Amino acid sequence: MSEQIDQALERKYDAGFVSEIESETFAPGLNEDVIRRLSEIKGEPEWMTEWRLQAYRKWLKMNEPEWAHVDYPKVDYQSISYYSAPKSMKDKPKSLDEVDPELLRTYEKLGIPLHEQEMLAGVAVDAVFDSVSVVTTFREKLEEAGVIFCPISEALHKYPELVKKYLGTVVPKGDNFFAALNSAVFTDGSFVYIPKGVRCPMELSTYFRINEQNTGQFERTLIVAEEGSYVSYLEGCTAPQRDENQLHAAVVELVALDDAEIKYSTVQNWYPGDEDGKGGIYNFVTKRGLCEKNAKISWTQVETGSAVTWKYPSCILKGDNSVGEFYSVALTRGKQQADTGTKMIHLGKNTKSTIISKGISAGRSNNAYRGLVRMGPGAEGARNFTECDSLLIGDQCGAHTFPYIESSNPTAIVEHEATTSKVSDDQLFLCQQRGLDPEKAVSMIVNGFCKEVFRELPMEFAVEAGKLLEISLEGSVG
Amino acid sequence: MSQWLAQVIERAGNVDDWLASARSKALAELKEKEWPGRRTEAWRYTSLHKVADLNLATTSEATTAEAPQVEGLNSIDLVFVDGRLTSDMTNLVLPDGVTIASLDTKNDAAENLFGQVKPQHHLFGLVNDVLAQHGVVIDIAPNANVEQPIRIVNFASDGVESHQRSLVRVGEGAKAVIIEHGAGNGHSLNTAFAEYDIADKAALEHYRLALHEGEAIHVGGSHFRLHNESKLNSTLVGYGSQLTRLDVDIEHAGEHAFAKFNNIYLLAPKEHFDLHSTIEHAQPNGTTEENARGIIGDKAKAVFNGRIHIHRHAQKTLAELNNRNLLLTRGAQINTKPELEIYADDVQCAHGATVAEIDEEALYYMLTRGIDKQQALVMLNFGFVQELLFQMPNRALANWLQPILKQRFERMMEQQ
Repeated sequence: MSEQIDQALERKYDAGFVSEIESETFAPGLNEDVIRRLSEIKGEPEWMTEWRLQAYRKWLKMNEPEWAHVDYPKVDYQSISYYSAPKSMKDKPKSLDEVDPELLRTYEKLGIPLHEQEMLAGVAVDAVFDSVSVVTTFREKLEEAGVIFCPISEALHKYPELVKKYLGTVVPKGDNFFAALNSAVFTDGSFVYIPKGVRCPMELSTYFRINEQNTGQFERTLIVAEEGSYVSYLEGCTAPQRDENQLHAAVVELVALDDAEIKYSTVQNWYPGDEDGKGGIYNFVTKRGLCEKNAKISWTQVETGSAVTWKYPSCILKGDNSVGEFYSVALTRGKQQADTGTKMIHLGKNTKSTIISKGISAGRSNNAYRGLVRMGPGAEGARNFTECDSLLIGDQCGAHTFPYIESSNPTAIVEHEATTSKVSDDQLFLCQQRGLDPEKAVSMIVNGFCKEVFRELPMEFAVEAGKLLEISLEGSVG
Repeated sequence: MSQWLAQVIERAGNVDDWLASARSKALAELKEKEWPGRRTEAWRYTSLHKVADLNLATTSEATTAEAPQVEGLNSIDLVFVDGRLTSDMTNLVLPDGVTIASLDTKNDAAENLFGQVKPQHHLFGLVNDVLAQHGVVIDIAPNANVEQPIRIVNFASDGVESHQRSLVRVGEGAKAVIIEHGAGNGHSLNTAFAEYDIADKAALEHYRLALHEGEAIHVGGSHFRLHNESKLNSTLVGYGSQLTRLDVDIEHAGEHAFAKFNNIYLLAPKEHFDLHSTIEHAQPNGTTEENARGIIGDKAKAVFNGRIHIHRHAQKTLAELNNRNLLLTRGAQINTKPELEIYADDVQCAHGATVAEIDEEALYYMLTRGIDKQQALVMLNFGFVQELLFQMPNRALANWLQPILKQRFERMMEQQ
């Protein structure tokens, strides 16, 4: 048994490879000139350059947060290159045929061939390769519905007023250390705008991929759902294997106006580092949504990758009757460290939030849930329910829970429950008695443990997530 | 650094007694400490601005007369007024197996306990280390079964700053009942820290009554070390006062130890109460049950931080923590954080926290039975904390506390 475990634990990262494409890359280092040049290359309006510089100046005065339950060598922000673009992008391809075949093969290896994607059940892909968006499909179909789905750099040219109106309204440029850095140097990302009353005709998705060595990725996503609209957005990531630690400091802002609904799903499977925790992605992400009256924002995440995760998708429930949801499965193994959770800020009357967090720790990893539920004085009749369960596999890992509950309204009700346990011998015995091998049994038990979260994922993601978990758990059983 | 803390450090230089080496170690640590602000996690919800520039008298002439009594309780009383022991130690009639000494004189038990159980990270604990010149050392001999409660009273009078220390050793297989009773409502600052070492198979019944009110500022802690198969049953009852901050640490240093810890806090308008509890499961097979319940009145603020830390080695631990809160009015505030930090896999841990208002249906039911609303509210809300009062093993103490707490609660309801 233990041999099998060892074999399985030594399993190499499936998506680990480097595609060789010539790149134009800035020399490492960060200063105001780098930001100006970056902004210039992207042909950004004057206000945008100024906005970035303001963020940079704020960032200079900030300290890297140390409160999270993670431990990693300090990042040298001057050794990172802040811009890299695939060279073949110079003469923007109009269709897939014009795209560098090497690039397309990269996606194929990852199992997301764009040709097939086009035919697949209505999923539009805005694929980000390093920092420049390469291809956007299904654009026309979306345009018919009046939906804007494009790289944020393009949106800055085409719809500057929209971007200017909403950028930084949910995550201000000086919000936190990583958000400020992102605001200063973000290279690209997605922009989504759903007009009033429109139900987005298809699920929107982006695949991120970190490729160039020593290149931090600073994605910026902005989704605006006008009154009464609906959109479901999918985000999935995977990255090639390498030794150098890679920084990822993304910012995602969601704005759900009156009666709108945004569903944001993530499957994160970045390179977690080798057996000793060497290499691997640092995932320091700021995600936040703002709900106006009767609006709803739902975050669903399946986190299995990255060496270090620092991520708290949050909802500001500003409007009366607005709803926030957070469903999360975080699995850590090897020497992975995750500090993740959510913040639900209840400001409006009768606001509701639900938090379901499932943490699974295996190997020598540490998995922490950190959440905040705040009931403001005006949160009359507000309601929160939180459940966070941890499962420990092996005696070398850690599972932690740090829930903050702040209430200043007597009519608001907050409930928090947390449990920690291991896969019980009885459960395993029962499954094995029915003819399942131990590995299948654990996979089944863990899948059951995560059921409430998987249920919230869009169909194709649910399948992917289940498979991911199964692969990740291989050999963790003994 | 605050002006007050600078002054503490200066005063510490004048304390010279047999504990000098332990005190100078604490002083060195204290000098390294930063004055806590909003970003200091342990003081996130409790501002110390009222302490920062505090300038109270450090000596007092007050006597025992004002110290609180507990009717119906036949206890051995050790009364401290403004940090000075005012009971006549020579006239105490002590049961077999009990030795009580003053901290003033060199003492073997004290040497082994002073600063040994209390974690070094408590800022005010360090202040107490360097300034608490008076205190008691209680030594329970092995296998002694001491049923008579020993009550340590800390009374703080108006305008005085005081520091008191208690050290308790419960010998192997021994049983004891200790009550820490704090009171005072004048503008005062009182720190009272107690360290308990509970030997193999010993059992301690412990109560901490932090009944300071009004303008009093009370900062203190009770710290326990549990050895193999020992038992702790502790109940903490707190009011808020201008500022009350308590740190309770329970360390399972031996296997098969059992700890039960109940807390009740009842905050009248504008009071501030902050309780931090830390349970360290350092050894396997330990059990902890913690229950905290609070009712928070108008413009009062409660802070609860309950941490359970299960070390890698502490397999087969059972730990449960539950915190329930009732906010009476819109101005009331609760910040609660039940934390779990777990490094062992074969454990069962759970925590829960709720903040809610009164159950409308239960209220309606009582109204239909002809009970008037005010009375129904008192019954329902007070019943919520009374449940923990009923779990106190010492009936005399519970019977004394019950009407006092109920009256306080009724006043809280009227003041809304």
